[in-house]
Amino acid sequence: MKVACIEKRGALGGTCLNVGCIPSKSLLNNSFMYHQILHDTKKRGIDVGDVKLNLKQMMAAKNTSVDGLTKGVEFLFKKNKVEYIKGTAAFSGENEVKVNLIDGGEQTLRAKNIIIATGSEATPFPGLTIDEKKVITSTGAIALESVPKKMVVIGGGIIGLEMGSVWSRLGSEVTVVEFLGQIGGPGMDAEISKTTKKILEKQGMKFKLNTKVLEGDANGEGVKLKVEAAKGGKEETLDADVVLVAIGRRPYTAGLGLENIGLEVDNKGRLVIDEQYRTKLPHIRVIGDCTFGPMLAHKAEEEAVAAIEYMKKGYGHVNYNAIPSVMYTHPEVAWVGQNETEMKEQGVKYKTGSFPFSANSRAKTNLETEGMVKFIADAETDRILGIHIVGPNAGEMIAEGVLALEYGASSEDVGRTSHAHPTLAEAFKEAAMSTYGKAIHY
Amino acid sequence: MASICKASKEIARLSSRSVYPNASLRGFQSCSKTLAAQNFTMPAMSPTMTEGNIASWKVKEGDSFFTGDVLLEIETDKAQMDVEAQDDGKMAKIMQQDGAKGVKVGTRIAVIAETDDDLSGLSIPAEESASTSSPQEETKSDVDASRSSESQAEAPPPSKGEDTPPMESSQSSSSSPPPGKAQKQTYPLYPSIAQLLHEKGLPTSEADKIPASGPKGRLLKGDVLAYLGQISPSYSSEQSARITKLGHLDLSNAKPAPPKEATPPPSTKAQPTTAIELEITETEIAVPISLSSVLSVQKRIQATLGITLPLSTFIARATELANDELPRSTAASTADELFNNILGLNNVSSKTSRGSYMPQITALPDTPFIATAGPQRQPDIYDILTGRASSTIASKRLGGPPAGIMAGSKVGEATNVFSVNAAKGEEKRARVFLERVKTILQVEPGRLIL
Repeated sequence: MKVACIEKRGALGGTCLNVGCIPSKSLLNNSFMYHQILHDTKKRGIDVGDVKLNLKQMMAAKNTSVDGLTKGVEFLFKKNKVEYIKGTAAFSGENEVKVNLIDGGEQTLRAKNIIIATGSEATPFPGLTIDEKKVITSTGAIALESVPKKMVVIGGGIIGLEMGSVWSRLGSEVTVVEFLGQIGGPGMDAEISKTTKKILEKQGMKFKLNTKVLEGDANGEGVKLKVEAAKGGKEETLDADVVLVAIGRRPYTAGLGLENIGLEVDNKGRLVIDEQYRTKLPHIRVIGDCTFGPMLAHKAEEEAVAAIEYMKKGYGHVNYNAIPSVMYTHPEVAWVGQNETEMKEQGVKYKTGSFPFSANSRAKTNLETEGMVKFIADAETDRILGIHIVGPNAGEMIAEGVLALEYGASSEDVGRTSHAHPTLAEAFKEAAMSTYGKAIHY
Repeated sequence: MASICKASKEIARLSSRSVYPNASLRGFQSCSKTLAAQNFTMPAMSPTMTEGNIASWKVKEGDSFFTGDVLLEIETDKAQMDVEAQDDGKMAKIMQQDGAKGVKVGTRIAVIAETDDDLSGLSIPAEESASTSSPQEETKSDVDASRSSESQAEAPPPSKGEDTPPMESSQSSSSSPPPGKAQKQTYPLYPSIAQLLHEKGLPTSEADKIPASGPKGRLLKGDVLAYLGQISPSYSSEQSARITKLGHLDLSNAKPAPPKEATPPPSTKAQPTTAIELEITETEIAVPISLSSVLSVQKRIQATLGITLPLSTFIARATELANDELPRSTAASTADELFNNILGLNNVSSKTSRGSYMPQITALPDTPFIATAGPQRQPDIYDILTGRASSTIASKRLGGPPAGIMAGSKVGEATNVFSVNAAKGEEKRARVFLERVKTILQVEPGRLIL
């Protein structure tokens, strides 16, 4: 196929690479090192002298990573002969896209097949104008010029907790305000969420759950937020130097000219598609954040492959039940499949098994014993229905869980598979064992 | 000695933080837990601890407690230690009183409830099997338990929570290939299956006869359990159907939003309005430019080379040159530019960019050839009538074919007005462009053809 990719940012890689997953992971990793040197190395026998934060350099390191990776994608385009057009595209016909080029001028492209992958943007909080300085989204949170004294995060989901962690480690007093009764969003298992909250609280983050933000005022020196208990109740005002709005993301299709060709979006702005990612014009397909399903880069990636396989081969598939979610706080939280609440809602009889990292030899030697691995399996067939981990390196460990789910494995299948000693992954095996039988080391 | 005791107490307390909440989860749990009241079992304060004595309870029945409160003190042969609450809650019932000796780890010692639970109406959950029974016994009892619950599941679903499964299975049976066909197992058997077959004394080849419901026809542990009659024969395939459904993107709520009443349909009727609105934000910038030197160059070329270069060639080349490296517009930055600004990506590109202006040329009214020609506004009226939406489209039309320019207003007289439409904030950019065109055409038009 002859392929052209139209991108208006001026850099490839989308939200994830430019202002999302990648830069935030750079900051998470480096802020963790800073925090560890300040608070953790002494007990490990490493005395460090004067420790100073050089935020400018930390941001520069982040930009280097981002630049390197965007250039990498550009290189891959060249290598695979994908034409890269820098500009803003809008549909001018069913097979025609008009591009307003960044460098001036206009170009019209005609194509047999078109894929829409315009992604998402942060949902703004009504009444608070985003200026990316005082009232910020994740985009501003990866580019603050100084460490705010007080930061309030609206929304205790993954983005809020990750960015909250970064600035908390660098010295901010961070308060997370969450409307729901648990952190980590509705997908996170309630038990894991509770454990995570406790660990994060120990690190110094503060939480106000079941709390809604009534209004904000950013006119003064800082930002004032009026909050009250979600079920009604006492009202209070929170002061912050910076407010991070992390209440979710919404599909981004503005200016795409969908109306020119009659493409439909639902009431949340998601492009309406069928199972083969087709819009009502079958040669136009949609993948990623701007349509249905979880807003995850790796989900979009799977969908892109499937959509193109549908085009070329007539069949493609994504297993939406085996898409992992990871929160890169410390310790990390990762899960795949369903959680206990969902099992109860669906009336499925299940059993659980868990294993704490405090009983894992490697975690003990690393002095990182917080967290656990938890399996949810069917009570009768022992088939794994969900795996939930909070603990060191959970994000890497979940890959094994995804594989297990993909293959329809039972907890016994995992428990009977050898895991190297001494590794954190042994906790994974032992949790599986405690699901169908009994853990050996606990 | 005292210090050692103290140290071990500290360590035990630390590990108990994460050890104990799982204590209630260990072993086999075949049914979902009731969240309201939970059994509180003897925690393992160290990996080697098997039993302990209850020194004293620090909370009474009915007391509420908060995370971190000391609930009771436990003695083992090694140390005495505090057990802290891991969650806010309420003590519903104490089963093992102060001074109880040799309480096995995992045995229920109390029942706790959520803080806001009403204790009078609370049902005390049954005690979960303590770790004294062997795993095999547990498995058996679990199978029995699930058998008895099977009949429940097969009976018409009484609760609304179970409304969906039958629908799911009927859907999947029509849409997906019927699960549970026996087929030759070409992949290595899963470890659990190999184990089960060997335990039951069945040859591995038996696996080919078992209906397989797993992904891509793989045989699952549940299939074998169903084959062996340990669980309901249809359960495994029904479960696979349910999970297969989960694997698909949930498009059940993919309903197009009703068209917004406010936005008019993209009909031809709507366009003129938008065009006129755009007109307001644009300003016309005009500069008088004398073409006399261009004309003299043209004459010289004709005299020396014998060819006539049309004026449009001069103008097109001048436009081309003038469009290079124009200063960037100062219009309010878009969200994207804001993003790029934050990322520092705007530093990558220069402060200038190539423009796309095409000048509109109007001869001055005092020239004899076009004495009847309208005033300067003429092109704009024309533009409005044709529903022109942006300056680019307009300039393309006017500046494009040289014949158009020539025929339209008889360019060629000494002084003409060159004009472009500039969007708000782009006036400077447009002016620079026109000044450049002027310089090129008036001062050194000869260079245009060299």
